[in-house]
Amino acid sequence: MSECKRDYGDFIVLTGLAGFTLWYLLDAIRVSATPQNLLLILPLAIIVLAIIALELFLRIKHGSLFRSSEEEPLHKTLPVVGLFAAYVLSLETLGFDIATVVFLALFLILKGERNWWLVGGYSVAFGLSVALFFSQMLPYPMTLLLLPS
Amino acid sequence: MIDFAAVGQSLDLLFSNFGPWLVVVPGIVLGLIFGATPGLQISMAMAIFLPMTMYMDFIQAMLFLTAIFTGGSFGAGIPAILMNIPGTSSAIATAFDGYPMARKGQHNQALGVALASSVIGALMGYVVLFFMIQPLSYMVLRLGPAEMFVVILWGMTLIASLKGEQVLKGLVAGFVGLLVGTIGFGEIGLARGTMGQTYLLDGVPVIPAMMGMFAASELFKLANKGFIVESADARKVKVSEIFEGCRMAFRYPVVMIRGGLIGVLVGAVPGVGSSVSNLLSYIETKRRDRDPDSFGKGNPKGVVASEAANSSSEGGSMATLLALGIPGGGATAVMLAAFAMHNITGGPQFIRQQTDVVYAIIFANFAQVFLLVIIGLLFIPLLANIVKVPMRYLIPSVLVLAVMGSFGLTGNMTGPATVLIFAVIGWIFRHYGYSVPAAVIGMLLGSLAEKSLLHSYQISGGDITYVFERPVTLAIFALLLISLFSQPLMKKLKARQEAAQS
Repeated sequence: MSECKRDYGDFIVLTGLAGFTLWYLLDAIRVSATPQNLLLILPLAIIVLAIIALELFLRIKHGSLFRSSEEEPLHKTLPVVGLFAAYVLSLETLGFDIATVVFLALFLILKGERNWWLVGGYSVAFGLSVALFFSQMLPYPMTLLLLPS
Repeated sequence: MIDFAAVGQSLDLLFSNFGPWLVVVPGIVLGLIFGATPGLQISMAMAIFLPMTMYMDFIQAMLFLTAIFTGGSFGAGIPAILMNIPGTSSAIATAFDGYPMARKGQHNQALGVALASSVIGALMGYVVLFFMIQPLSYMVLRLGPAEMFVVILWGMTLIASLKGEQVLKGLVAGFVGLLVGTIGFGEIGLARGTMGQTYLLDGVPVIPAMMGMFAASELFKLANKGFIVESADARKVKVSEIFEGCRMAFRYPVVMIRGGLIGVLVGAVPGVGSSVSNLLSYIETKRRDRDPDSFGKGNPKGVVASEAANSSSEGGSMATLLALGIPGGGATAVMLAAFAMHNITGGPQFIRQQTDVVYAIIFANFAQVFLLVIIGLLFIPLLANIVKVPMRYLIPSVLVLAVMGSFGLTGNMTGPATVLIFAVIGWIFRHYGYSVPAAVIGMLLGSLAEKSLLHSYQISGGDITYVFERPVTLAIFALLLISLFSQPLMKKLKARQEAAQS
């Protein structure tokens, strides 16, 4: 991701928050326009929108509407975020046990672990023991493919 | 104020046999484990082991549950310091300076500071409870919904303005958090912002959201680092340094006492408790410090303030439970269930008729605090080894624990999905300088704020002048305005002074 895009990202987040606030306010009004329903939401939404407008105004005034971020570029972290998302989304399909083992192994490989014994050993030992611990401790049924549920 | 005959009877109850004490050590260990495991809550541990208390007498049951509470209050600070993951919402502020201390290689000292502050805080909480149980319960009754709402707003404003340079972004994050906290069924039974999803009817699951925003998003950021502590020398676990940390905590007696008092007072307010007290104590300490900029960068005073407050909250919430029969939070709600299981109803009558039992619970907790020192010192060296684990092992392992823990909280895939969504939001917030703590606290307090405001509206009949008849509300509102505008004003004055001098 280029420097320029990161700068647009900040602007997008701010307008995204304004968009969410406006949508939530309209949804609350649609459900019921009574004072009891809007007592907190309406003034709070107006305050949020006013602060965002002020922030944008100050940025325009200082000529820094798309100001740069000094943080690490987002793209360096994206593979980790993607892997985590895939893990969460696969829990019900692969089961908490297998999905966890696969996630751990792929993460280790992604971050440079090349000792295959460690990759396999740690993923299987930690993944299965955690899945077993939680499946035994929690009062809810967990999807498990390998371990007894 | 103190019934000395009841004091004697309570000592008899505790020391006539060893029965009550057999459950204390297992209780503290369970509390430490559940508190120190991200995603497992203290209230969860108490709820899981509540059925066991059916086979105990009332005193033994209360000692077991309060031991879990005491162990858990300190345990929650361990992952906050070592991994920047508050084990529970009561240790949020511990992470603010505890984790930066760990990253500087001062993890041993930070854990020592947390242990000493927790012990003193818990002790203070129960000492205050012993002397003040009756006046404290009277004070709590005087706090109405209007005061509660302004306290929430004040806390929110303080938290949002923690990042001095980006106050506007902090306020946006906090207030949007408050809005998110009102999603789902409101007080009048109408569902807002659910997008037709049934799993949002009860609102956004706050604890999984907190785990996502605090823990997962920070771990994403650290994914490219080798170790939590980069220097190999600094990664050593030294018991001597843990002791040094314990001594370090006593260098800040004022911070400790102030944190303890804030904890007791806030802990006694039903529904608020240690989740807010640690933050208020932290903010107050930062505000009063000569060098507020050093907070958030590994200042031990931040850890002292947070841990003293969250531990002393236990005494405060026990006051409300015993004196009024109202639970201050999740943990005391489980204790209330234990009361019911033993056919006991908390309240003024319970205190009058069973004063010996009340004192026995308080005295047993004094002893628990000292046991916590020993058990804590044995556990910390084991847990502190976490800094030796390479990040490529630590990050996925903690993410797995967070996902499993969130599943445990909701009982379905809503928990893990919430962790994922809020991890991404938290990561974006961190990247662009929005206050993640403000957003999380907003979500935690959103529904409570709405409830308090609605009750004030109902009591006043919609008449705004009602506020002017509430001096406490006005005083807290004045404090809110002062804390919002004092920082920029002071900065301007300082800049002007410096300009004049040069």
